[in-house]
Amino acid sequence: MTLDFQQVYQKIKEIGATVQQRKKTLEERRAHARFLLNLHADNLAGLRYKIETVKEADPNIRCALPLQERLDHHSPGPDLPSAATLIAADGSQINPDRHAAIQYGLVNVGAIILRLNSNEAPIIRTDSELLYDDELYTPSGNPLSEGLVALQRDLKERAKLLVLADEFGVDGSPVITFTDGPIELWGMRDGEDALAFEQSLKKYLSVLSQLQQKNITTAGYVDKPSSDPVIRLLELTEATDDDLKKLREFHPLRGVTDRWLFGDGNVALIKSGERSAVFAFQSKSEKYYNGILALHFFYLNVGTDRHPTIVRVEIPKWVVDDPEKLNMLHAVLISQCRMLGARPYPYLLHRAHETAVVTHEEKQQVDQMLMSELYRSGGEIDEGSYKQSAKDLAGRTGYRR
Amino acid sequence: MPSYEIGRLLRAGTTGFIAGCSVSQFEAPAFGSLVRAPLGDDYQVYGLIYDIHIDDDGLVRQLVTAEHVSPEVMKDNRERRIVPVEMSVLSAGYKQGDRIQHLLPPRPPLSLDVIFLCDDKELVQFTDVGRFGYFRHILRAKDAPIGEMLAAHIQQAGAAHGQLSDRWKEAATQELITLLRDDYPTLMSVLGALGEVF
Repeated sequence: MTLDFQQVYQKIKEIGATVQQRKKTLEERRAHARFLLNLHADNLAGLRYKIETVKEADPNIRCALPLQERLDHHSPGPDLPSAATLIAADGSQINPDRHAAIQYGLVNVGAIILRLNSNEAPIIRTDSELLYDDELYTPSGNPLSEGLVALQRDLKERAKLLVLADEFGVDGSPVITFTDGPIELWGMRDGEDALAFEQSLKKYLSVLSQLQQKNITTAGYVDKPSSDPVIRLLELTEATDDDLKKLREFHPLRGVTDRWLFGDGNVALIKSGERSAVFAFQSKSEKYYNGILALHFFYLNVGTDRHPTIVRVEIPKWVVDDPEKLNMLHAVLISQCRMLGARPYPYLLHRAHETAVVTHEEKQQVDQMLMSELYRSGGEIDEGSYKQSAKDLAGRTGYRR
Repeated sequence: MPSYEIGRLLRAGTTGFIAGCSVSQFEAPAFGSLVRAPLGDDYQVYGLIYDIHIDDDGLVRQLVTAEHVSPEVMKDNRERRIVPVEMSVLSAGYKQGDRIQHLLPPRPPLSLDVIFLCDDKELVQFTDVGRFGYFRHILRAKDAPIGEMLAAHIQQAGAAHGQLSDRWKEAATQELITLLRDDYPTLMSVLGALGEVF
């Protein structure tokens, strides 16, 4: 037995003993959040002014910024367009493993193209890129981290949408593209990998610009979003000058989520199929994603009235500025989610994931192919680490690092 | 020899084999159909389809709960996703050179061997050899729905015999009665099913 269940059990009992107190605190905070939402629902100019004030104290503050729609706005699902080309992409990766005998990485992007009401089977595309040797290092000579491989994957996903939109968006019908996850490219902006991130970001912004120039709708679909920019906005409405000095520690509504705010079963702000108001993202990324590329989002109830499922849809400004694009995206995502019945999620994103995912067996196959080729060509092959060898021994399994 | 490919071999034994194909290929083969697997050197194994099986998966289970499944999604699942149709085949005989024998094949087909559907001419050739020796294999197949399988086979083979259909079906039925004379319950079950095709 490697786990000290006595210690874990003790902690679990302590958690249980404080449940009621924490529940009461959360209910009070939720009630207050609801109060603040109602109080500021149409105070949009006041809220924007407040954020400007907060930015003076912390320019990197991350929260929602209201635009023209009330905070409690909700729009019903528009009709699905009769013709449109939908393209979804997803990616997966094999990270370089320093314990393995051969160092390599792999980025695999799967995409699926579906023409609405075409009566045609969708088209599947896959792009697999093996990273080897110099490709496993950043420009500053550091080994490629998991984060940087993920960065390449995210960049390739969006770039793939652009390539496919060019190829398939030729019949004049609108092209709607989406990926899973935020539309913002994530990565370390500081430290030794900053240069690699900057390079990827530059390419990513170029891809976004080209999507905009080609009049293509693009979005990031965030299932079960973990950040709460609207709740953060409500918190900031109460921040005093003293609070502004310690803004990172100021979280009076901690535990209350945007998902609860918009989808609480009893008084759901957005009903089944509806979207929330569109907000801009206030964050330090605005210096990169500016003008027509500025990042925005809305919430969408892809569930039912009895079981709301609130997801966040992230979009660039050019989609916000075009009501037709916004409505089509809204309608398409609702329709896509309903295809999966009781566990709503866009069908095409699921299929893109199925296409992209690299299975354990496929990874072993790549290991074998690469090893055979290196042997055949007289290349040098290192040994796997003894640590990995010990981990691979048959016997007990568990969570180990 | 005319060839209508219906799939490829997934796994095999002496008494039978399993063929798989994608749903988009799945048009011609029917329960009871005679199929053949050419193994080279003028040697091919014959068999009768006794089960057609389509597995589900997590996505399909979710799709069936949705209110509406669009034609595009239907085609995606049938043509693009890797969900094979599995056909279980009972070995019924083999052909070496020009000679067809209703014996179990000396060796089974191998993985990924192509499986073809037999046309009417081949069906007549196979069923006219000897005195329905392949019925032994069918009657021994306890996992197969014997009566239904025989009914489907006799209906298809009878049709393939054209003007001689009635005579061939009559002979086949007589042979079954003879083979099952000591197994009254199975005989009744088989005759019950055959009653549907006469």
